[in-house]
Amino acid sequence: MSALLEIKNLSISFFTPKGEIQAVRDVSFSLQPGEVLAVVGESGCGKSVMCKGIMRLLCSSAKIKTGSIFVNGVDITSYKERDMHKLRGKLFSMIFQDPMTSLNPAMTIGSQIAEAVKVHQPKISKKDLDQRVIELMTLVGIDHPKERKKLYPYHFSGGMRQRSVMAIALAGNPQILFADEPTTSLDVTIQAQILDLLRKIQKTLGTAAVFVTHDLGVAAKAADRIAVMYAGKIVEIGTTEEIFYGPRHPYTWGLMQALPAFSKGRDELRTIPGMPPNLISPPKGDAFACRNEYALAIDYEQAPPMFPITDTHYAATWLLDERAPKINVPVIRLPDAPASPKAEETMKSKAAKGTKEVLLDVQHLCHTFPISKKSSIKAVDDVSFQICQGEIFGLVGESGSGKSTIARCIMNIYSPQSGRILYKGIDTCDKKAFRENKKMLQRERALIFQDSASSLNGRMKVGDIIAEPMKIQHITPPRGTYRKEAEFQMHYVGLDKDYLEQYPTELSGGQRQRVAIARALSMEPKLLVADEPVASLDVSIQAQIINLFKHLQKEHGFSFLFISHDLAMVEFLCDRVGVMYHGKLVEEAPVKELFENPQHPYTKALLSAIPIPDPQKERRTVY
Amino acid sequence: MTKQNLPLYLVKKIFVFLFSVFLLSVVVFYISRLAPGDPLVSYYGDRVEKMSSAERIQAENKLGLNDPVYVQYVRWLGNALHGDFGISYKYKMNVTEVIKGRIGNTLLLGGTGFLLIFLLALFLGILCAWKEDKLVDQIICKIGTISSCIPEFWLSLVLILIFAVNLKWLPSSGAYAIGKANDIGERILHLILPLTIVVTSHLWYYAYMIRNKLLEEVRADYVLLAKSKGLKKSSVMYKHCLRNILPSYFGLMAISVPHILGGTYIVETVFSYPGIGTLSYESARYKDYNLVMLLCILSGVLVILCNMIAQAINEKIDPRVKSGDSDI
Repeated sequence: MSALLEIKNLSISFFTPKGEIQAVRDVSFSLQPGEVLAVVGESGCGKSVMCKGIMRLLCSSAKIKTGSIFVNGVDITSYKERDMHKLRGKLFSMIFQDPMTSLNPAMTIGSQIAEAVKVHQPKISKKDLDQRVIELMTLVGIDHPKERKKLYPYHFSGGMRQRSVMAIALAGNPQILFADEPTTSLDVTIQAQILDLLRKIQKTLGTAAVFVTHDLGVAAKAADRIAVMYAGKIVEIGTTEEIFYGPRHPYTWGLMQALPAFSKGRDELRTIPGMPPNLISPPKGDAFACRNEYALAIDYEQAPPMFPITDTHYAATWLLDERAPKINVPVIRLPDAPASPKAEETMKSKAAKGTKEVLLDVQHLCHTFPISKKSSIKAVDDVSFQICQGEIFGLVGESGSGKSTIARCIMNIYSPQSGRILYKGIDTCDKKAFRENKKMLQRERALIFQDSASSLNGRMKVGDIIAEPMKIQHITPPRGTYRKEAEFQMHYVGLDKDYLEQYPTELSGGQRQRVAIARALSMEPKLLVADEPVASLDVSIQAQIINLFKHLQKEHGFSFLFISHDLAMVEFLCDRVGVMYHGKLVEEAPVKELFENPQHPYTKALLSAIPIPDPQKERRTVY
Repeated sequence: MTKQNLPLYLVKKIFVFLFSVFLLSVVVFYISRLAPGDPLVSYYGDRVEKMSSAERIQAENKLGLNDPVYVQYVRWLGNALHGDFGISYKYKMNVTEVIKGRIGNTLLLGGTGFLLIFLLALFLGILCAWKEDKLVDQIICKIGTISSCIPEFWLSLVLILIFAVNLKWLPSSGAYAIGKANDIGERILHLILPLTIVVTSHLWYYAYMIRNKLLEEVRADYVLLAKSKGLKKSSVMYKHCLRNILPSYFGLMAISVPHILGGTYIVETVFSYPGIGTLSYESARYKDYNLVMLLCILSGVLVILCNMIAQAINEKIDPRVKSGDSDI
């Protein structure tokens, strides 16, 4: 069987005023017809640049430096734009990460799909075109296509939009489908649906697919083969089973260990220390060496070649060289047994601690958003829960289930229509009581947002951002000056003090979230509310931040409301969990109980939708 | 906005419109009387200097200038509501007649200027966006920056100096040579220089705006999807990007009508072009109250109308606003 797509020594660079960014370096792989290849790695490792580069969708500053791309044996590397646009849609097409922005907001869904059909069949009759659009919408599982095709993207939910994008991508019957993090911005349950659908369509149409993802669970579910990318290079490639059951590259080990599922019963999530390197001047030798606890001297000198392990499994690490010292390969297996007794003990001690005193008491909270004069949405519907002193309470549910609205009500950003929120016995929704205790309330409650890029003022230096709450509250910094205080907080959340003078845009997502945490902690709050604080971060960075939270909570002893849609994180971090569904709190239980014995059907659905990073289990659950 | 409450919408808009015009007339009426100067000069010319104080009072009484301002205003408003806007002190004619004779010229200059700006800006904007950061784009942007910095009146004088005085290719002033009022060629010849000034002083701003808006769209995620469908660059540009920015461009152009009109006023004055602009300038200078009033109200009506049109367009742009629901 000849390869459908063959990439040979592909290097792609961005030429920017700061210098050449070598986003993809010397990548080779091939794709057979009907095969699914998952490309995994942290963000900034060149995964999506590679896919967009193959489809030639990158901006003009990106150039293919070396290498060649063969499609069905034809070299398309030197194709110009006018040749490429004929291939797009027909030979390969793409699904993008964010369905919210990848559809034209001013065109109906139907006309956008019709356009994709028409590109390849310009002479299609109106009737056939309509027929085909409806057929495509049915294929991707959109009910009532006849009525729905007249709607605009804003009428659709995220999952429906992603289905529409899939319909567009499939319109030209492409041979290869590139999917760039197709489920990352979707909820767990929707993610599972979309993944199943993709897999089903891919099987029925025989389309080959390249799946870019940072979620190994997704890769386990969808892929035949997996390529692990780091710093623009493929460091390990093999079949899904080979990668999951016999990973050979230290980076793959790190990625897998960072998954919360592998840390069950541990005190801390495993993380990969550090960050991916700057690709303007990639380090000499193996780019992963400085984060690699198994690094050998030669790793700093010379980049390792691809060592074959089996016919299908290759890895680029000097550890596989015959001269390399033998090391103990870490055992990476999903813990089947329940959490170790030690962990159980800590849980119990926490629970015992939690019985102390109720800090926050939410009683029958209701909040509605008016849509028009006549109708409104009940975002939060009669929700009651309590958070004790020093307790970590997790709130999970899909987007739109009212989690953030609760957080905002608690922080007095929204004033709820009915219900009471008692903080230390003070009704914060009561205007008079709030005014009397305003200072204290503002000081003792802190909020961390999901998107650190927009929640930090881009025109303020990091040092000023951290010190600002203290300045506003006229607090004399306990460590002398504001600057010293900021320095201390930075150190506390694990950032270098050099960053004090930088602007948030100069930091990475994980660093920015650390700044946001430092800002929230500078007031030494009693209650910390974090609204999806890790949702926009990479797996390994997520693990770092979660560890940080756990560590800080232990030290400060603040109560913590942790809002997330990632159940694995919640399971790891929280003492008690509440499950939200359509504005209602449908289940509330200690974390262990909830995960072992979920009561509500929605909780069960939510738990079963988590992609498990184990190909055999994952396949068993689906097929 | 749904169709059922369209009448209500219109009634609301008309009320706002009338109220704005009323307010405008009050303000202009008072302000024009606050300014220093002698309205009698425009009526009697140099004779005013030789008048005795008794004669002056008589003349002022005749024109109704001795009454308190609010009495004058009420009288003016009463007449205006009957369609009588008074006579021009300078021309001794009904002001509507005076304006009728001039307004055609201004509409010709402003209208063609507006159309040219509208189309050229679209063309240049698309060209620049298409050739982003290439030489053409850079040159056009540089020219735009430079010519936006040059004041209109100075550029007018330089162009007059070059093309009218030295080269003698084009006439330096007026709308037509004496006795050739109906000669179209003659009119066009007289229009070239003022039109050039009007267009060059406004064009770049709009072209630049189109360029930037287009580039913003080109970088939007949906363009990637459109491209990955297999659409050509031109289809993506016209069917997606341009289509999405056009409504807001129309809205902007509607607001900018008065802006461009203001530009023609200056140009008219410099080129002694017999339009509304020179008329406004003269009437303000000579305290020709009735003429000032009507001219200001005409301009004001245009400004308010254009703003309302722009607002209506903007309300229509977003399909969400049109269908009257939104999902939070």
